[in-house]
Amino acid sequence: MHSIFARINNTSALLSSCMMALLAAIALSTLVFTARPEGNVSVASVQVYSGNTRRYATKRQDLAFVDFNITADFAPLFNWNTKQIFLYLQAEYNTTTGIKNEAVIWDRIIRRKEEANVNVIGKNKYNLRDLSTNFKNAPPASYSLKYNIMPYVGALTYGEAARNLRTCCVPPAKDPCIIFV
Amino acid sequence: MFTEELKAFRRLGFRHVLLQVLNFASVIASGLMIWKGLGIVTNSESPIVVVLSGSMEPAFYRGDLLFLTNPSSEQYKTGDITVYKIPGAEIPIVHRVMETHDVPKSIDIRKYTKSKSKSKPQPGEDSKQDNQLLLTKGDNNYVDDIELYQGLEWLEKKHIVGKVRGFLPYVGYVTIAMNDCPQLKYALLGGLGLLALIQRE
Repeated sequence: MHSIFARINNTSALLSSCMMALLAAIALSTLVFTARPEGNVSVASVQVYSGNTRRYATKRQDLAFVDFNITADFAPLFNWNTKQIFLYLQAEYNTTTGIKNEAVIWDRIIRRKEEANVNVIGKNKYNLRDLSTNFKNAPPASYSLKYNIMPYVGALTYGEAARNLRTCCVPPAKDPCIIFV
Repeated sequence: MFTEELKAFRRLGFRHVLLQVLNFASVIASGLMIWKGLGIVTNSESPIVVVLSGSMEPAFYRGDLLFLTNPSSEQYKTGDITVYKIPGAEIPIVHRVMETHDVPKSIDIRKYTKSKSKSKPQPGEDSKQDNQLLLTKGDNNYVDDIELYQGLEWLEKKHIVGKVRGFLPYVGYVTIAMNDCPQLKYALLGGLGLLALIQRE
């Protein structure tokens, strides 16, 4: 009972139990926060060009370019257990052939409360393309701003901050061909 | 160093040694039961994984432990962080879903996956759900994962091990250290085995 081995055994058992209790307490304590930030997404224009992407240099497909304006404040989501917030703007549409599509066109990582006030006028970071390589069967898309809170310890949570419902049509493709380098 | 233990063994008899071995075996068996039971509950073949690369920084660093589930009744959504395995590559990759395309069963999905197989996919357990084509990207990478797909154009649900639900930092570093220098693994296992056999309580 008093050998070194027994002492080390007991101490390390106590240490690991306390550590696990502390981590569980941190993870559970963040369930108290139920903030739901509201924001605003507005789409200025959607243009479709027929072009190639760098990846598939020989495949001609329609690419959509979206100009948007986002304002939102995510400061109420930051607490002691928030490591970062991952924001993403996605376009959702269902084609007439029955395929439901959701694609992320812009994202940003917020790591500190000071950067949590988001006011962005920009265009899509990622290529927006359709499975069938053209947007002929695609109705107007709705755009939603979603967030994912990543904690230091615990469960990941998701939420939606803003949604813009089907106000912009996806126009037919314009001819100028753009080769991406 | 072992003379005392050897004397004690001779005193207690062979039965005692067998009892110790049985205790050891039951500890290992219950560990395995818990692991497989967790796999069944979460519907994932590997419900706890360790992050191996830095492509999801600053969210996940090398050595973090991730808890996964693989709900068969739910579709994957954009923004989910998934762990997937490409057939032909041994290491699972942890990245975030960027695009999802839900293709209803009435449309043959092989048109989009350039699959060479001639046989139609059998209507299996998840015939209620549409097929999904997914594209992923690591947060810390500039481009999406097409180069990692080894010829595939889209990921399908069958490639995905699970979706990340929870997370513990740094705990998994032990497994990375053990993989990097195998002597550590043998030393640890040997030491534990020895301790378990020698313990008298």
